[in-house]
Amino acid sequence: MSTTTSVVDRLRARIGVDGSAITAPVEAGHVKRFAEAIGDPNPRWSKEAPPTFLVALAPASLHLAEAEEYGKGWLNGGNRFEYFAPVRIGDTITATGRVADAYEKPGSTGNLLFIIFETDYVNQSGELVARLRGTAIRR
Amino acid sequence: MKVEAGQELPELVKHPTTRQLVQYAGAQGDFYEIHYDQAYAQSVALPGVILHGLLKASFLGQLVTDWLGDRGTLKTFEVSYRGIDQPGHPYRCRGRVTRVDGDEAELEVWGEDEAGKRTTVGTATVQIRA
Repeated sequence: MSTTTSVVDRLRARIGVDGSAITAPVEAGHVKRFAEAIGDPNPRWSKEAPPTFLVALAPASLHLAEAEEYGKGWLNGGNRFEYFAPVRIGDTITATGRVADAYEKPGSTGNLLFIIFETDYVNQSGELVARLRGTAIRR
Repeated sequence: MKVEAGQELPELVKHPTTRQLVQYAGAQGDFYEIHYDQAYAQSVALPGVILHGLLKASFLGQLVTDWLGDRGTLKTFEVSYRGIDQPGHPYRCRGRVTRVDGDEAELEVWGEDEAGKRTTVGTATVQIRA
């Protein structure tokens, strides 16, 4: 299985390398649509973003074409958010993602590829507002 | 109300539909077909379309923010997806306070399917305002 080995090797070569930064405004209409989609009517979301909203500003994981050579589908293994400052409507957030780790592990129906993504979210004042770690699995 | 170890969070029961998955796909910008295209989902060996992990995380986030209100701030929120969930089935979000240390409280949160299986498990830490 030299193909799968090389996928892991190529992903491992990207560990710690920042992807392109994505800057996006936290718009009232977007936050409203997001809150409606998750079914959370808390009036607080007319001023600030709900805890998981950051993933709607920029993709929660980098698009890694090489990973898609492995297995046939993606699964989300988990997400960890760390919050340092509130995200308010009107803020402009810059998201920078990177691969934090990549490894293969045996699963119940064959090997799985685990990719750990890390994304930093910085606001218009240069303040780190949150960090997200996500586990993406190719199966 | 004072936050104390052992307290249970008021449970939140969600009734996700395929329509909600489409709404969420649009709001998040995640158009992976396993969340709205039945034939595609089956082609990758899933029983049908499944809930976005991050939608389940959002439900558990609401569980925590509804309970916390303006009494404090969410510091960390972590979820692991242990099983898939399909639309058309209720999703029950529960949690409890596991530890209080000074102004910091730790919570255990989880989402259960109809059979009571915890398909999402997680933790949150909150800082309680003095």
